[in-house]
Amino acid sequence: MTSASDRSYTRRDTVMFLACLGLSLVGLFSPSSWGQGVSDALRDTVLAPLVWLQARAEEGRTSRARLKAITVQRDSSAFLAQGIPSLVAENERLRQLLTLSKRVSTPYVAAEVLHQPQATDGRTLLLDVGRSDLVSEFDPVVAPEGLIGMVLTAGDRSSVVMTWAHPEFRVSAYTVGGNASGVVAPSLSSAAGEGALEFRGVPYRDSVPAGTLVLSSGLGGVYPKGIPVGTVTGVVREQAGWERVYRLLPAANPGSVAHLLVLVSSPGANMERAFPSDSALLAARLDSIARIRLADSVEAAKVRRADSLAAAKARRDSIAAARPRVVPPAPAPRRARPDSLAAPRPARSDSAAPRARSDSAAASRPATRDSVRTPKDTTP
Amino acid sequence: MTASRANRIQLVLVMGLLVLLHFYLRPRLWSARISPDFLLIALVFFAMRAGPGAGALAGFAVGIVTDALTPAAFGAGALAHTMVGYLAAWGRAVFFADNLLVNAAFVAVALWVRDLILLVASGTSYGPLFFELAVSSPLQALSTAVFAVLVLAAFREWFAIRLDV
Repeated sequence: MTSASDRSYTRRDTVMFLACLGLSLVGLFSPSSWGQGVSDALRDTVLAPLVWLQARAEEGRTSRARLKAITVQRDSSAFLAQGIPSLVAENERLRQLLTLSKRVSTPYVAAEVLHQPQATDGRTLLLDVGRSDLVSEFDPVVAPEGLIGMVLTAGDRSSVVMTWAHPEFRVSAYTVGGNASGVVAPSLSSAAGEGALEFRGVPYRDSVPAGTLVLSSGLGGVYPKGIPVGTVTGVVREQAGWERVYRLLPAANPGSVAHLLVLVSSPGANMERAFPSDSALLAARLDSIARIRLADSVEAAKVRRADSLAAAKARRDSIAAARPRVVPPAPAPRRARPDSLAAPRPARSDSAAPRARSDSAAASRPATRDSVRTPKDTTP
Repeated sequence: MTASRANRIQLVLVMGLLVLLHFYLRPRLWSARISPDFLLIALVFFAMRAGPGAGALAGFAVGIVTDALTPAAFGAGALAHTMVGYLAAWGRAVFFADNLLVNAAFVAVALWVRDLILLVASGTSYGPLFFELAVSSPLQALSTAVFAVLVLAAFREWFAIRLDV
């Protein structure tokens, strides 16, 4: 084949050009259905490999885009997932603190803990409240779970709390059953570590079983009575005939606490109602459920009463409408008789009200029963 | 194997490579509207080598392919590519394009003319037509010309195109 520059135009070239041109014009001006049919046939046959090739290329490009999108979504999800547990935990703690603040009868100040990245963080806590918030030294500090410690020093806008992990921490305490009393102090034995408390000075004759809750006794004038300090887990040591020292699992963990309540002006207060036992909390929750049921039954009774009144009115109207056809015209005094007959009917429909009242009374019965179930007296 | 048969095989290889690039590489490149048109490069080089009749026939085939894959106005692509194939061979004979840049300009002009015929034949309204001819087509012509220079520099012996460079 020679180069185009070396060729002279031939009639064959012109014919081929005109033929192609004509075919193109035929395709251009033919009905669109023809063109669509030819296109479909070409794509399904000779162009199928090219279409497949282009599809793979598009797939590769969109795969990259999808991979980027998936990576972004994964990163976002991971970022959110990192924050969600801590948010849930903080939310739960705030809810607990909120319920605690409702139960606390003494004045208090809500405080936020400013944790420090120190190894000794946990022995002392820095709070964001101080004298300007009426916080002063020796004010007890509590968490929803129990006692944290007391205010060691109070500045104008911040204060330092000595927690139960501090070596100088002491609190007079007694067991829930009231059969033993003593002093709670941080554990000094290396085996127990800093995360444990000791219940010291318990008379040898007083045996405290494991699992017993230990509360502050209120003696000493710093900590109010009834704040949970810890739960007995076992005996640390004993001096025969003299005393036993029990190991306590602390009720509250200063290392993980974020929000606290500082009890101001609390000497002599009794905090037992602020820290009820689990059964008392369950009973309170059942009481709230019973109250909701009672409110629902009252609403249902109102609806039923309205329905019965409407039905009675409709029945009375139907009787009044049927009377001229059935009953012949009667003297005026006798015309009042059906009305007087109809009159009691609303009274009958009103009988639904006592039924509703009985329903509400029945619904309120669990509430009464729960209200009887008060937490047992834990005073020693 | 004779020289002419070897040339044909080389030509088929380059054309196959350009077709492969057009359908596999081009979708992965940047905006499809300004990325190089490898099929047009293959058509222009083939027409410049083969002559007006074969160029028109090849243009018709390429146009049918583009019409089948972009079924907007069937026949417009065939018409445009037929014209381009014929004119490329005719221009090669008239202008004695033995310069690399002249060949690149051939490709660029061919693409712009192709777009002009395609847009007019498919009944594009004035606004999009002017935008395409003023913005998109020149950009695509530029990118196609650049790539045509690369192809020509690499395979000029196979295309049997004389270059005075």
